[in-house]
Amino acid sequence: MTLRLRENYPVKGTLVLFILAGLSACILSLPALAASDRSPSDPAQQREAAGDMAGALALLQKQAGDGTPQSLKNFALFLDRHTEDGRREAFLKWAAVETDPEVRKLALKQAVLIDFMQGKDADLSRDLSEYRAAGGQDLQSPKRSANAQHYSTVSIPGPLSSFARMAALSPDAAPEDLLPALARNVVTNGYEASGNEALQQTEYLRLLVRYIGQARELQAMARNQKIVIPACDSEETGNLLKVLGYRMRGACGGDMVLETVNATRAFLTADSGFPLTQLEQDLRANHRFELPYAPTQVPVLYSAKYWIEAVNQNQADFLDAFLSDPSICRLYLGLSHLDRQTAAALREQASAAKLKIYAHVLDFFGSMFQIKDGVAVVPGSAKVWGAMVGVPPSNPGAFFAKLLATDDGWMASYFDVLSRIEGPTAAYLTQPDRMKRFYDALRGKITSPGPARPVFRSSTELTLLATSLRIDPDGQPHIPGNLEVWRNLFIHHPHGKYDGKLTRSAASWKNSDDVIEALFGLSRKSVENEPLKIFLALNDVDRGRAKPMSPELASRLVAGYRTFGAQYALFADAPALSEGSIEQYLDLCRQSKDMRDTLLRADDIGTLQALAGLWRILVLQDSIPAARQDASFTKLLAPFTHVKQEGDVLDAGRSGIDTLLAAAGKQPGSMRQEQIVELLVGKLRPANGNQPASPAEVLLRVFDAQLLVPLDSIFTIADRAGKEPIDPKTVKSLDEQISRLQETQSLRSSISAEERNTFAVGYWSDRHIDQEKKLNIDKLVKNTEKRDARDALEPFLRDSLVGLLYSYYAPPGAQLLLTNSSFVRSHDFIGPENAPAAWAPTEVAGTGWPESGGGRLVGSLISLPYAVAEAEQNFLTPKREQALIWADLVPQMIVDVTVNRWRNVTPEQIRWVGLHVARGESLIAASAFNSGVETAVLNSYRRFATPSRVEWLQDRLESGDFKTAIANVPTSALYALALDPKLANISPDIYLTEAAEIASQHDPSLSPQAIAHTFGTPKPTLTHSLQPGLLYLRIFPALMGYSSRILAESWESNNIYFAALADRTGIPVGELDSYVPEWNRAAIENIFATHLEDWPALLRSLHAVGTNIQQQHVLQANIRNSEN
Amino acid sequence: MKSFLHTIGLATMVAVAAGLWLKAQDQDQTTFHVKVDMVVLSFSVTDSHGKYVNGLKPKDFKVFEDEIPEKVATFTEGNHAPLQVLDSGETKPLHVASASNESGVGPAQDLRQDAAGTNVFVLFDTSNYMYRGFVYASDAIADFIRGLDRADSVAIYTYSRNLNRAVALNRDRTSAIAGLRRAVAGDDSALYNCLLLTLRDAAKVPGRKVVIVFSNGPDNASMVAPDDVRAVAEDEGIPIYVISTSEVNKDPISSTIFKRISTNTGGKSYFAKTWQKQVEAFESIREDLGNSYTITYYPQPNPNEGFRKIRVEMTSDTAKKYRIRARPGYRPQRGI
Repeated sequence: MTLRLRENYPVKGTLVLFILAGLSACILSLPALAASDRSPSDPAQQREAAGDMAGALALLQKQAGDGTPQSLKNFALFLDRHTEDGRREAFLKWAAVETDPEVRKLALKQAVLIDFMQGKDADLSRDLSEYRAAGGQDLQSPKRSANAQHYSTVSIPGPLSSFARMAALSPDAAPEDLLPALARNVVTNGYEASGNEALQQTEYLRLLVRYIGQARELQAMARNQKIVIPACDSEETGNLLKVLGYRMRGACGGDMVLETVNATRAFLTADSGFPLTQLEQDLRANHRFELPYAPTQVPVLYSAKYWIEAVNQNQADFLDAFLSDPSICRLYLGLSHLDRQTAAALREQASAAKLKIYAHVLDFFGSMFQIKDGVAVVPGSAKVWGAMVGVPPSNPGAFFAKLLATDDGWMASYFDVLSRIEGPTAAYLTQPDRMKRFYDALRGKITSPGPARPVFRSSTELTLLATSLRIDPDGQPHIPGNLEVWRNLFIHHPHGKYDGKLTRSAASWKNSDDVIEALFGLSRKSVENEPLKIFLALNDVDRGRAKPMSPELASRLVAGYRTFGAQYALFADAPALSEGSIEQYLDLCRQSKDMRDTLLRADDIGTLQALAGLWRILVLQDSIPAARQDASFTKLLAPFTHVKQEGDVLDAGRSGIDTLLAAAGKQPGSMRQEQIVELLVGKLRPANGNQPASPAEVLLRVFDAQLLVPLDSIFTIADRAGKEPIDPKTVKSLDEQISRLQETQSLRSSISAEERNTFAVGYWSDRHIDQEKKLNIDKLVKNTEKRDARDALEPFLRDSLVGLLYSYYAPPGAQLLLTNSSFVRSHDFIGPENAPAAWAPTEVAGTGWPESGGGRLVGSLISLPYAVAEAEQNFLTPKREQALIWADLVPQMIVDVTVNRWRNVTPEQIRWVGLHVARGESLIAASAFNSGVETAVLNSYRRFATPSRVEWLQDRLESGDFKTAIANVPTSALYALALDPKLANISPDIYLTEAAEIASQHDPSLSPQAIAHTFGTPKPTLTHSLQPGLLYLRIFPALMGYSSRILAESWESNNIYFAALADRTGIPVGELDSYVPEWNRAAIENIFATHLEDWPALLRSLHAVGTNIQQQHVLQANIRNSEN
Repeated sequence: MKSFLHTIGLATMVAVAAGLWLKAQDQDQTTFHVKVDMVVLSFSVTDSHGKYVNGLKPKDFKVFEDEIPEKVATFTEGNHAPLQVLDSGETKPLHVASASNESGVGPAQDLRQDAAGTNVFVLFDTSNYMYRGFVYASDAIADFIRGLDRADSVAIYTYSRNLNRAVALNRDRTSAIAGLRRAVAGDDSALYNCLLLTLRDAAKVPGRKVVIVFSNGPDNASMVAPDDVRAVAEDEGIPIYVISTSEVNKDPISSTIFKRISTNTGGKSYFAKTWQKQVEAFESIREDLGNSYTITYYPQPNPNEGFRKIRVEMTSDTAKKYRIRARPGYRPQRGI
């Protein structure tokens, strides 16, 4: 892909060298590339900033014609930034005229790295020689060693594409990942318990086995690896059709069609993607039909024999043996997670038949096993681990084998969790005494069932505790409130006893270790672990506060957790809230329970929560400065304390809106709707070519589709009804919406009595909507009923405020919000009598009960972004025929861009991220040329990857396959590599130099916090907050109770990738709030994953979408270029 | 607020343009251009024996919207090319140009051929509910595609929990059948979600279009209600035909919904458990498509921004005994 270049350019001139003292104390001196040479007034810079890449390119190309180092450098850097073809040549031309030897080396080094990245060995050899001749010492010839492979191959019948379809495998998976993916599918979907508790094959596996039989029959028909049908009336035709389960209807000729005769076989034929239509066409035309049909060779760990022998049956074929034994599949999975050395050490300890007994533990908790210098790598003290396991880590094979077999997996799960954390938390938890003590608490007396027994890892709470535990500067864990608060919880347990032993021991607690020990003790339980949840939630509330919460507040939060705990996310989002404000909010929560009129209560709660939700958005967007957050929140809540009737709620709502506007620096009291919309999503931008709709347009479309009434209309009528004239247009707008609402509802009245009875569970009658439908606006305006207009209009105000939130969180491609015009109004703030929902998390209800009037949301608005995303996700359409929308992961990916809206992003931030991602790639490329760099980079990468993935990356680099290597490193890890201070002096390159120049300007928007805030993702489960951030965690596995939701929260690459993509494509930052949601949608629709932990599929999708966007962008630029 | 809405309204006019409007350019040529508010109405006329009545002319009908007489702009019988209806009630062939031509992008294009025929969207249930009859259903749909009029275009969509756009709208029967045969059996069924998405796609296509749903009936994953989907079809003028592989009495709820959706949009529903019945159902649909009439008109000023009732009336006394099947009305699109 390339922007079209117009002409060649001559070379001459010099470049000035700077010595920097900016980026970091680690960077002693770097040659400056003088990015500042291209000042904002530079015409090329201006065009680039405006998104006119073709124009900028043309100018730079023209300037490069003068041959000065400066212009040639500008041109090379431009091409490099936008990953254009010709950049290597541009760097060489620049180097050829560059007089500063250090700068020249950088230019030549870049050419070498580009050669390696593009796999151009011949150029690489040449450019490397030139670089070394110029004095470059840090790049040696890349190693080309093939590591001892532990793969052989096995044969599966027929083409891989058909097998992949039948086995539900992504065809994009790397060859060595196919059998692990198959193994996982067999383990999770292949068998089910039969009546006598023996395992029997599921329909999935039965079909797969049948397909394998059919494929073998077809393979037997093939000659020279081809199925050939010479003519329609040949004998082969009948034979083939018989295997396929079809027959000819009609004689050979143009009217003949193929039709099913054996449904079982025909299903396999269709489902495996056999080219039936081509066969039919050829038969009709009496053409020769040829189909390459050969077995596929697939990499298998070790050898087929190793696995066949372990099955302990008389199976001769690998595939038959493999599919017949789920435990051997599990062992395959487990061993595939290990690096070569560790796997070899384990295999030396035990046969496959013995290892498979603990295969489930190895699969779930073995991926962090590693041997270094002949010793097992352990988190914390080797001595303690030796004592706990009973074998010293210095005997690594035996150590890991024993670890797997101990306590039904609890010890392995503990090892796994501790291996994944680092920093102060790791230091605290791995302190020798604590490590043993906390494990004893976790293990308890009865170890069965172990955490690897269920379908998902049941060590969820343990993982969350270890990951989220916060260590204070004194090295002790942070205990919200004080020890007494937690002692009280365990002793008095307001909602019933948690654990008898813990209740007894709580009385003698002395320090924070005692609390943590109790939490470890609870974390093995899949139920009754409420104290742990409370602890984590309060920790997150306390995390950003200038002053830790008082014991009094902590006690109140603990006591109210079961009813109001979901609301604590609001406090975690805004650490500036005072304790008084939090107490005030909790008072209102409690007060609302006393309202007997459910309609009034729902309106009161809905209005209050909507205002709090709007306040939350403005806080997260920094529209309300920290200094005004607390006061505005208090002021917003105050009027709700006096609510007696609907009119009071309306007044409180109006006051709340004005408070929000004032806090955000707007003019309260007028043009409220327009101002609030502008605050939320910015100004409306007119449609521009293929550019996606602006966020304001999307919001207003949804707002109107939900038949909502602008705030100002409501307030105008409420104030003037029966008193003074009202603009007829205002009255008409409300009247129209009511008419449309009545009409929409009348559609639903077509439900028959039978239907209603049948769907009683899903059907509800909504009194809130009914009362709105009954409003006679004419009578209200004329005040003929002597009714307070404020009372009548409050339900509409509630809907409009709630609707603003729904509209704000509407993802691209939203259909429900545009089609079900009662969706907002249907929000159930009360819930059923036995399960009050007013302050509970937002839930999606009504899915699959379509005749009930469609789905709706129930509960508070606290987790509305996720719930809206969950409701809308099934309207996304996968681009691949077999793929499905990943139900537990996709809502979080949507929330990544509906909470973090890409507003107020600066060009400098985009460049900063783009630069660092490029630096990350450059570091990995440089690893192939220098063992010192390799060690440092891989050590840094270990923070994000399991040992086997680090080894895999190393293998790819040593085989020279950079493209495959880099395509499997998450973008957030690339970014983090570039930020790692330990790598700041490693392998200087053009990116490091430019980053140092930018950093020297001390732009606060480029601080780690600012970048994390701008391009991070919200993590409502991990942090109990919607505050976007970057945690740089290892990607989590699927966990019981959360499926892949926590995996999705630990996936931080999308926004970082989009920022780097924006940098490459040059799309103006002011338009990114339109583009990025669409990119995100495309990336979701393009995912083709095989299983719930298949995060490489996310990365593949991102890269595919990014490539496509770049191509489109280049195409458009070229069109403009041609036109000019 | 007003300025917001005004700007969006303009944007909508340009971006959501769908349908065709008539513009006399000179004496000999008439050109279609895209406009937003044109109403497309398909209907069939049958006699007292249920047989299709063919050969009717524009002057044989009167069209009312909320009892306001409407002036018919174009008239199409079956899969013939559309005709312009003159003030006199006479007709003449059309010259059709794409909307993009007017904006200066892309070459002028004679769409007379494109304007003929029906755009058929087939929505095929590949959920677990269809597992047993999957291949037979596929055969029946393939036969239907083969038998479509040459002027018709066809798109193949499949669904289970999500929609899959297997083959985009085109006239290549081979690619349509190949796409159909690439369908993969899925899991849950979100019929109404996916029907909605299909209607949204169909609404973007100018000319006459229908959606044919081939389903076992149950829906266990949709978030959207059938009646909301039905409303979209009504408003867009897209008849929905449903072929259910379930017996009418076996799943009365689905049957009732299917009947309501199809009737209110001007389509039909069939309950065809056996392959033979399915073939017959498709034959009936094909016949319906070939024997229906499609007219377009620009609504006369009408203050009603809600549901507008459409009534088609035969003009001659002898024809008044004929039965006309058409959608009952629509809601006009709003510029925001």
